[in-house]
Amino acid sequence: MEPGNEKYNKVLDLLRKSKPDLDSTDDIKREVIKRIERVNHSRLSLSDLVDFLFGWVYIQWVRRSLITASIALVLVFIYQQSVILKRIDYLSRQTIVTERENGSAPADEVEKMFMVYRNSGRRFPTKNITISEKQMKELIESVNELQLKYKDLENLIQEDPELKKMIEKKLIENNRTKNNL
Amino acid sequence: MKRRSIKLIVLFILMLIVSCNDPETVVTNYVHPDGSVTRKIEMKSIEGDIKKRFKISNIQVPIDSNWTIRDSCTVDKKGDTTWIRRAEKVFKSIDEINLTYKSDSGSNKDFSRNAGFNKRFKWFNKEFRFFERVDKLLTFGYPVKDFLNNEELRYFYSPEKLKEENENGPDSLKFKALSDSVKHKTDKWTEKNLVSEWIGEFSKLATGKTNNDMIIKSLRAREDEFVKIIEKNDKQLDSLWKNGILLREFLGEENAVKYKTEADSALSIVTKNMFANFNNYSERIVMPGKLIGTNGFIDSSHLLLWPVKSDYFMTEPYEMWAESKIPNTWAWIVSGFFLAFVLTGVIVRIIKKG
Repeated sequence: MEPGNEKYNKVLDLLRKSKPDLDSTDDIKREVIKRIERVNHSRLSLSDLVDFLFGWVYIQWVRRSLITASIALVLVFIYQQSVILKRIDYLSRQTIVTERENGSAPADEVEKMFMVYRNSGRRFPTKNITISEKQMKELIESVNELQLKYKDLENLIQEDPELKKMIEKKLIENNRTKNNL
Repeated sequence: MKRRSIKLIVLFILMLIVSCNDPETVVTNYVHPDGSVTRKIEMKSIEGDIKKRFKISNIQVPIDSNWTIRDSCTVDKKGDTTWIRRAEKVFKSIDEINLTYKSDSGSNKDFSRNAGFNKRFKWFNKEFRFFERVDKLLTFGYPVKDFLNNEELRYFYSPEKLKEENENGPDSLKFKALSDSVKHKTDKWTEKNLVSEWIGEFSKLATGKTNNDMIIKSLRAREDEFVKIIEKNDKQLDSLWKNGILLREFLGEENAVKYKTEADSALSIVTKNMFANFNNYSERIVMPGKLIGTNGFIDSSHLLLWPVKSDYFMTEPYEMWAESKIPNTWAWIVSGFFLAFVLTGVIVRIIKKG
C-alpha cells in the first residue's frame, strides 16, 4: 500500500465521521415527506380512479348487464319517440274546424227527430215547455196563416171537380195499401 | 186527417222553438298535470228576459253560484243583442267534477255523464289522459259503426261547421254524396234501433207469461222484416199500430190481444228513450304539455273540440278523450349520463386490451 493512499483513506474516514451541523432538521424532514407523498399521489389519481370507475369492465357479468341495460334504454327511447312522433304526425294532418261549434240542432238532426217521431207511433214523451209571449204570438200567427192556406186549398179543391176526383182517388189508393198490409 | 197532421207539425215546431231558447254553450276543460281542472263555460243567449236568460235549469252542463261569473253582450249590425255569460271554476280533482254531474240540475240532468283523468310514468315522459263520457241511452240498440264505414263514421261525428264547409267547398259533390249516404244509413240505423229496443223492452215486460220465449225468438228472427215494414209504411205506421195490424202480423191474432198492454208500454218506453230531451253543446279540452292523441277535432284556436249530440250516445257510450305528454327532464339527464358512463367503460376496456 502506498503512503498517499493511506492518507486519502484517513481523510475520507474523518470526513465521514464528522456530520454536518444542521439547524432545521424538522423542516427538511417535512419537505422530504411532502415530495414523496406528491409523487405517490399523482400515480394514484390516474390509475386508481380509472380502476375505481371502470373496474366493472373486467367483471364479465357486470359488463354484460350494463351494456344490455344501455341497449334496452336506447331501444325504449327509440320506440317511445317514434310512437309519439307518429301520433303527432297523425294529429297534424287533421282538418281544422275554422269556427267554434254551436249548440243548435242542425237541419238533418231535426229531420231525424221527425223521422223517429213518425216511426214511433207519432208520440212525444210528456214534458214541460216554456216559451216567451213573443214566440207564442208568432206561433199563433203562423198557425192561423196555415189554417187560412188550408181553407184556400179546400175551396180550390171544391171548385175544381177534376182535382177533387184526383185527390179522392189518391186517398182511396192510400187506404187500400193500408188495408192490404 | 189533414188537420191532425197540421197540429202535429205545429207541435213539432213548438218543440224546436223551445230547444232554440237554450243558450249555445261551449265547455272548456283546462287540465293541469296534478289532475286539477279549470273548467270554463261560455253561454250565448238571445233571450230578452233576464230571469230566463241563463236559468240554471236551461244550461246543458252543471253550474252553480260558486262559479266566478262574468256577463257581457254584443250587438250585431241588425241591432240584435246576444248575451254572453262566462263562468269559471277550478276543480281540485276529477271526483269534484263527477260530483257536480251527480247533483246536476241543468237541462241534461237525466243523462249519465262522468269524467276521468290518469297519469302514467313512462321514464322519458309523463303521459296524461283526460276523458268525459256520456253513457248510452238504449240497452238493445246496435252500434253505429255496424252501419257506417270509417269515412262515414268520421263524417257522422264531425262538427256541423266542418260539414257545412266541406259541402260548400271544392269537393262539394263528394261530400254531398257522403252526407246522403250517412243520412240514409243512419236512418236505417235509427229504424233498426227502434225495432230492436221495442223487442228488448217488450221481452222484459212480457217475462213470465206463457209462450214468451217463443214469441221473443220469433220477433228477433223477424226483426229485419219489421224494419222493412217501417221503411215502406212510415206514413201509415201510427194507424197500423193503433189498429193492431202490426201486432197481429208479428204476434198472431191471439197473442196480439194477449200482449197488447205490454206492447204499448214497450213502445212508450222506447219513445221516451229515443226522444231523449238532450240539449246539444260543445266540449273543448286543453291538455298539459304536448298533445299526442285524441278522438276530437281541432278548432281555430287549436283547441280540441267535440260536438255533444244525443245521436252519439244513443247505442254506445260517447267518450271524448285526449292524451298528452310532458318530458321528464331529469330522466333524460340520468339516461344520458348512464349511457356515457357505459360507453366510456367499453372504450377504456378496448384501450387497455389493445
